[in-house]
Amino acid sequence: MIPLLSVIVATLAIGTVATFLSGARARWVALATTVVFLVEVGLLFLAYPGWPGYNNALVPGFADGESYSWISLAWMHINYTVGVDGISLVLILLTAILQLATVVYSWEETKRPAAYFGLVLLTCLGCFGVFIALDVLLFFLFWEAVLVPMFFLIGYWGGPQRRYAALKFFVYTHVASIVMLVGLLALVFYSGAASFDFSAIYASARGLSGVVQSFLFLALFFGFGVKFPIVPFHTWLPDAHVEAPTGGSVLLAGLLLKLGGYGLIRWAVELLPSGLHTMQPVLYVVAFVSIVWGSVLSLSQRDMKRLVAYSSINHMGIVLLAIALDSSLGLLAAVLLMFAHGIVSALLFMASGSVHHTFGTRDIASIGGITPTTPTLSTLIMVGSLASLGLPALISFPAEFTALLATWNTLAYWVFVPLIILVVTAAFYLWMMQRMLFGPARGVPLTAHDVPWYEGAGMAILVVCAVLFGILPGLLVNVITSSPIHGFPGT
Amino acid sequence: MDLASFAGPFLPEILLLAGTLLIFLLDVLGVRRIEVTGGVAVGATALALLFVVADLGFAPFAGLATVPSGQIDAVVASGATPLYAFTSFGFVFQGIFLLAAFLVALASMSRPSKERGAPIFYGLLLLATLGTLLATIASDLIFLLLAVEVTSISTYLLVAYPRKDVRSLEAAMKFYIIGALSTTLSFFGASLLYGAYGTTNLYAIRAVARSVGHPVLVLIGYGFLIAGLSFKATLVPFHAWAVDVYDGAPSDVTAFLAGGSKKVGLFAFFLVFLGPVLFVAPGAGGSPFSGGTLNLGPVIQVTLAVLAVMTMTVGNVLALLQREMKRMLAYSSISQAGYMLIGIVIGTSPALTGATMQMFANVFMKTGTFLVVAGVTALGIGPLIDDWKGVGARRPLLGVAFGLMLFSLAGVPLTVGFVSKFVLFSSAVQAQGYFVWLAVAGLLNSALSVFYYARVLKVMFFDQPPEPSALPTGAVAEGSAPPLLPAGGLGYGRAVAIGLIAVAVVAIGIYPQPVLGAISNAAQHFLHVGA
Repeated sequence: MIPLLSVIVATLAIGTVATFLSGARARWVALATTVVFLVEVGLLFLAYPGWPGYNNALVPGFADGESYSWISLAWMHINYTVGVDGISLVLILLTAILQLATVVYSWEETKRPAAYFGLVLLTCLGCFGVFIALDVLLFFLFWEAVLVPMFFLIGYWGGPQRRYAALKFFVYTHVASIVMLVGLLALVFYSGAASFDFSAIYASARGLSGVVQSFLFLALFFGFGVKFPIVPFHTWLPDAHVEAPTGGSVLLAGLLLKLGGYGLIRWAVELLPSGLHTMQPVLYVVAFVSIVWGSVLSLSQRDMKRLVAYSSINHMGIVLLAIALDSSLGLLAAVLLMFAHGIVSALLFMASGSVHHTFGTRDIASIGGITPTTPTLSTLIMVGSLASLGLPALISFPAEFTALLATWNTLAYWVFVPLIILVVTAAFYLWMMQRMLFGPARGVPLTAHDVPWYEGAGMAILVVCAVLFGILPGLLVNVITSSPIHGFPGT
Repeated sequence: MDLASFAGPFLPEILLLAGTLLIFLLDVLGVRRIEVTGGVAVGATALALLFVVADLGFAPFAGLATVPSGQIDAVVASGATPLYAFTSFGFVFQGIFLLAAFLVALASMSRPSKERGAPIFYGLLLLATLGTLLATIASDLIFLLLAVEVTSISTYLLVAYPRKDVRSLEAAMKFYIIGALSTTLSFFGASLLYGAYGTTNLYAIRAVARSVGHPVLVLIGYGFLIAGLSFKATLVPFHAWAVDVYDGAPSDVTAFLAGGSKKVGLFAFFLVFLGPVLFVAPGAGGSPFSGGTLNLGPVIQVTLAVLAVMTMTVGNVLALLQREMKRMLAYSSISQAGYMLIGIVIGTSPALTGATMQMFANVFMKTGTFLVVAGVTALGIGPLIDDWKGVGARRPLLGVAFGLMLFSLAGVPLTVGFVSKFVLFSSAVQAQGYFVWLAVAGLLNSALSVFYYARVLKVMFFDQPPEPSALPTGAVAEGSAPPLLPAGGLGYGRAVAIGLIAVAVVAIGIYPQPVLGAISNAAQHFLHVGA
């Protein structure tokens, strides 16, 4: 059997190094790497055998598992252990799609292109690693590997306040990483797990007392929550987004936020069921506050990019709510929502980047009626906005519908909180479209022209995905529900 | 017992002593070229290192072992109280000290060939290393302190070896006065302990510590000992001398002080405190002064924990404020000592593994950084961090090597510094209870340290270098692209040493199992020896 996951890691690693070294041809190397990556992810899907109930002898519960001894002391057994289940597979697909879209969208990057594309690839490599790692140390290595390239992407290619934003991003997420690491180490040692492997912890963590589980869950929740981001640890997000270059924003919103959600599901919810049960009220409160506060903040934004950034807080709040429900339907909804938000927010960040390139500003109030000048761009903004507000036949609809259904099943009338907020979200996207796209032209420079082909192509990739998975969400649902250890019906 | 079987185990020590005497003899005979004296020193340390590696049982060299494997870790089971004993833990530290000495000796071969004082430098280097080796086999408190003293006196002189340099002389003076004071404190503490325990043998103290009375005497004795050893190990608040000495000493000497000889103080901590004190079982007496006996464990533990956290934090914060490269590295060296102390506070074999690994990593990182500083200073770069602008662009290989060392100091993954910190902090969590907070304190400190290391990288790689005219002649060819000579200006010895360190930082960082496994075994044996 070919160790496909390690082959993909090697592909991305070699591609990253080659991109850094290839100077002016970096974009071609990056594109080639991305295409190979996509093909390999396709193979991964094809090789995901029979799906439901599939077990691999090496890593129970995970497909394509590989495990090699790395560090072995009397009290510490660390392995290189990787594997995928349905949840990670869907997020790996998202990684591949966003990597392709980002590389295409940034095709004409002129400021040190080799370093730029190299860092983009490195970020994606880190995310991919996080999604496949099943060992605490390996997971942490990849987790940190995401931080560094993103720091440089913001700090070097960003807007006027980039240094401040990059530093804030680094400090917030690094402190959170530290808490997370201590939490994971405590999980290993307090549970007496035989190794740092996920499966070993899975076997032993359930024996922990409720109090210990709750404390560990809280530590992990904080560690992963800052990446979400949860209110009140969200303030790094708008700064980082507004200052980041478009490619950086796309990866930040599309992938980095998902790391928080994925980490919470994999390393906290799955391992500490009774911790989740005890901490459920805390999660509900944080989720509801994030949903409402994110939405209120986005209503008051004039900057298009900032608006999308704040609406991310709102969307990720719904993801947290879905996870907190502690039901298999909620988990399905959370993963679908993460995928949908990855596609849609990436699309909107690209659109706001293009608005900035074309009109020199992202201020919603100072431009209007842009459709006659830039028909392609305004079509793409419209698709993105409609997807974000949950129009049926686009990817967000099945995700949000599942989330609401799962909330109703567990919390009954509390479902009106996210429901009303979804209506508010719809309102501010419609209002934005009305002001920017339609009506008499305002603030449109005479030199303005429609988006260049590469920016259009980058966004088109995401539109295709939004439509495809919007019409056929079953493609994703089947994969997600084939994850064996979540008690999905049918596994 | 015939001479060969008696002397055999001391082969590394004998090699160093012979090397020292040979160098001084050659000096008298007028052979002072650095190629000769340096060659002797490099050869002696390399050969000694080989035997130590063999004694640790590494496969291809195991046949060269100087100590029969049955004699290692076998002390005191019989109830004997020898002056010295061979433990695998001691051999690990012999490896650490010899590695530092070897790297410094190798790099210093690149100093000017006719430099005055080369024999003195190399002779004292070997003598100081000999002292550290003797400390690693000590099993008696007085023997240990005398061995530390051999190292100390050699290093006072080592700092002063460029006799005409006022800064070096000032540093040596300061070093000597503080060192003498700390020695006094240590010996006074030891004498009080002798009064309380009736023995100075460390393993014998282990056995009687649970039952001996005189709590006040013991407490004061250990207090003085902690103060004395803290000076040697540069723990806050006994650290102030270190920065001036590290800054004033020639950088090659600083490389040995920070990377090698300073760890002898920390090793003494291991030997003194992990032996008798922390093993007193809880319940041997509730409060320190209750009953006739004394449970010193918690008192010493808390004291050392406070020292550790203070050392890490003060070292890091002050490093953050420095504008000079050597002072920044000196403060970072102080903060590193705090991490190592964590291992002693916890006192379990995983923690001992972590702390020892941290010291092993530190040899590469601290020796390496100061060797680079020495080389770069010789090229005419000033003492300020800002003077390093463009060094990375002009000498990419040197820049990358130095960058790797800084990454390792900051604990960036896939370097040896990350592995050591990961094991150390894991062991703190593994010990559970309030030790978890030590892990948190250590991790927050390493997050803080990232900033000052990153600033050096930024200056080196991203900041625009000054105009070529402002540079000393020869640093850059006129109007042409910067030369890419990695070895040219540094000299081959130094280039090889730096290259070895850079490779080791990454190689051990990616696959630490051989080193970590050996250290872990040694740590386990150490805690059970004579217990």
